[in-house]
Amino acid sequence: MINLIRAELRKLFSTKLWLWLLLGACVLSGGSTALLIGFSDQAAASPQSGIPPVESDAFSQLALAGGANAVVFFLILGIIGMTQEYRHRTATPTFLVTPKRGQVVLSKLLTYLGISLLFAVLVNAVVVAVALPWLSAKGAAVSPSGENLEVLLSSIGGAALYGMVGVGVGALLRNQVAAVVGALIYLFVAEPILRSVPATDGAYTFLPGGALESITATVGNTDLLQRWQGTLLLAAYGIVLAIAGWVFAVRRDIS
Amino acid sequence: MSAPTKTYAPATTQTRIVVSDLSKRFGSVHAVDGLSFVVEPGQVTGFLGPNGAGKTTTLRMALGLITPDSGSATYAGTLYSSLAHPSSQVGAVLETAFHPGRSGRSHLRVYCAAAGLPDERADAVLAQVGMTDAAKRKTGGYSLGMRQRLGLATALLGDPQVLILDEPANGLDPEGIQWLRNFLRHLAHDQGRTILVSSHLLAEVQQTVDRIVIIGGGKLVREGTIAELADPARAWVHLRSPNAGTLHQELLDAGAQVETSSPEELTVRGMPIAAIGHLAFTSGVELHELRTATTDLEEIYFRLTAGQEEFKGASNAPDDAPGAAPIPAPAAPEVPSREVSS
Repeated sequence: MINLIRAELRKLFSTKLWLWLLLGACVLSGGSTALLIGFSDQAAASPQSGIPPVESDAFSQLALAGGANAVVFFLILGIIGMTQEYRHRTATPTFLVTPKRGQVVLSKLLTYLGISLLFAVLVNAVVVAVALPWLSAKGAAVSPSGENLEVLLSSIGGAALYGMVGVGVGALLRNQVAAVVGALIYLFVAEPILRSVPATDGAYTFLPGGALESITATVGNTDLLQRWQGTLLLAAYGIVLAIAGWVFAVRRDIS
Repeated sequence: MSAPTKTYAPATTQTRIVVSDLSKRFGSVHAVDGLSFVVEPGQVTGFLGPNGAGKTTTLRMALGLITPDSGSATYAGTLYSSLAHPSSQVGAVLETAFHPGRSGRSHLRVYCAAAGLPDERADAVLAQVGMTDAAKRKTGGYSLGMRQRLGLATALLGDPQVLILDEPANGLDPEGIQWLRNFLRHLAHDQGRTILVSSHLLAEVQQTVDRIVIIGGGKLVREGTIAELADPARAWVHLRSPNAGTLHQELLDAGAQVETSSPEELTVRGMPIAAIGHLAFTSGVELHELRTATTDLEEIYFRLTAGQEEFKGASNAPDDAPGAAPIPAPAAPEVPSREVSS
């Protein structure tokens, strides 16, 4: 398994994809934090915006949660990590070297969990680098400890699990474009609809987006799961999708 | 054909491939239908058939990428999926596709890691296939010939005893084909490895291989050594004479099979070329041309492709094909090669 993880790491770092996704995640996370802080004066002027005052703990936690906006990049990273084997027809040499295909899927799950964790640490370092000096300049004394640290860690954990879920989605769908587009439509169209309909909003709690939100939400939402429950549920989504992918897609003929 | 010389001491014993009753259907199409043959070590075996004959499906089933409906392929008795170290036992080239953004060397290092091989193997096989200069370039910019070489390098990573190559000469220039030919013969004859090479072009494999397995429509058509199947003594002979009519009768009396393609031209089978020349001489018939036209092997393959690809417009057939007339059924082979009706 160590050999297979080394192979997956070499696959990832021998093309430029990781760099663009990591840069995208950093820009989006740092950018959202910067926008929030930059426009905090205007937000303060209109109390109905719902954004807490800049000196409050709630505001600094909101600013430090910028990394949670980039979890979708980790989902895409995992999806591409799996589906590129089919897209570029490298599944043939990969499964020739490792005929037990389940091992390939498992090694990708572990690799993308680990890599997403590492990248998420970098993304959140960018968020901290943007937020801390700026907030202290605005008179809010913030340190990355206590509840603030919890916000950062939960955003890192959510991103890491999304990398794993991406591998699972890719294993099941095989077609890269379909998997990426399908996942985005699911997250940004299907889940919001389910959430907005009263009959199904209870189910949202147990869907991947709801599980992620229970991990990363800074403002307490009583309808969501506990953070540890959400973590387990999201990990289970990754594993179940990967197993389903192995059973229904990965074992199919490579012709 | 020739006995392997002991200049190389393989880590494992020589490996024989046994393909046994392999079948695969895709919908209503029998891609491969009860196919059995054996590939011996120390030889280059050609796997020949027209496009769509089932060659690639057979190879992919033999390598565990496609699950057969029935039958199996084994390497020294073991299924591919059960090999302890597949890369070090069987090397295969089925694709010339690589991730376009990855360099050739990075591609090889991925599989070094996956197979637990030392990274030096990547540079070693690149040198072996003459790709050292292109190693750091992205494969997206490779020519088809370079892709073929990189594919071959991938197959060689684990220094396997068995090599399976699907259409390896595609995209190679004549020099590359010559190089590949010598390389494969060296691996088989001098090192005792088992080499199986597929092709849809007879001319491509005829000079490379020792044995040949011909399939058509997913079934075995003929299996035998080149020495048997391409024996010049059993070739079709083409002759041109102003007295062709006289000679025609003489040849029939001597027991040869004769076809007339024009008033001055005859195609003769079942009689050695020297005997035909002698007969013409003793009969006092003037000859303007006397040459070997096609071997038995060419004849078998021509018939197969003609039937399968519907080259019925034989007016475009090359001059040395045995006439534009419909080809008669082949005579029963006198040589000890296997024929299986298809």
